[in-house]
Amino acid sequence: MMILITGGSKCGKSSLAERLLQNISENKYYLATMQPFGTEALEAIRRHRKIRREKQFVTIEQYTDIDKIQLPAHSAVLLECLGNLCANEMFRNDSIIFPVEKIMKNLKSLYSMTDILIIVTNEVGLDGISYSAETMQYISAMAELHQKIARISDTVIECVCGIPVVIKGEIPC
Amino acid sequence: MILIIGGTCAGKTEFAKKYFQLSDAEILDASEIRNVQNAKCIRNYHLLIKKLCQEQLDPLAFTEQLMQENPYCIIIMNEVGGGIVPLEKSERLWREACGKTSCLLAEHAEKVIRIICGIPTVIKGECL
Repeated sequence: MMILITGGSKCGKSSLAERLLQNISENKYYLATMQPFGTEALEAIRRHRKIRREKQFVTIEQYTDIDKIQLPAHSAVLLECLGNLCANEMFRNDSIIFPVEKIMKNLKSLYSMTDILIIVTNEVGLDGISYSAETMQYISAMAELHQKIARISDTVIECVCGIPVVIKGEIPC
Repeated sequence: MILIIGGTCAGKTEFAKKYFQLSDAEILDASEIRNVQNAKCIRNYHLLIKKLCQEQLDPLAFTEQLMQENPYCIIIMNEVGGGIVPLEKSERLWREACGKTSCLLAEHAEKVIRIICGIPTVIKGECL
């Protein structure tokens, strides 16, 4: 089963994803895609690692090329978050690489090793501000990824003030 | 307590006025931190959070206290977290504070209404 969880900043996406996996204790992986740049990121990573250990997640840090990860069959994976993965793939070299096809291919390969894959992402196109060409390309790549992933997901949820609003499928019990 | 959320100019205050039969005088604009304890309805709560952040006050603690002192208040706030992460640290912290505060308000609210294109959708509590 594939679940896409979207929403704005600090709206309870991660807590919801963790809750959905709370009854699984074996082969449960947290795939962290945020690169530790700066003190804010380091602080967040330290905080999250501790919480996840208590919740029986094994943390894997992979900032790009998520198809390189090898997992036992029937794993449960929480990928957090697509926004970082997309930026990491896009801006890893001097020239911008449009990453949608690669990420979709890699997600499908990751999905084949799992029974449940939860992808946490971020709404980035709702502030109405015109950014630089690079950032607009990023927003556009994220929008395309969201649509493509939503199409192959069983469930799509938008988190709004901590409330899960189901927009496709249903929340698994 | 009732929480009304949505984007800028989506029709949140108009909806509140009509549905809860509020007069202009009963709606406090939250760019003022004072008098929130007695307000029937507070709008622009996200701007109040910005003021609190600027004055280095904790928006979560402030909101907890408000919910105790004014438990039947109608709170209107903008959703501000759905864009690119701001470069400015203070903007980033404000945006995160808005997200966390909205989760806290929603958790305690008997009803949460989201307005899109002027149309209300109840996302928590009984239908309208």
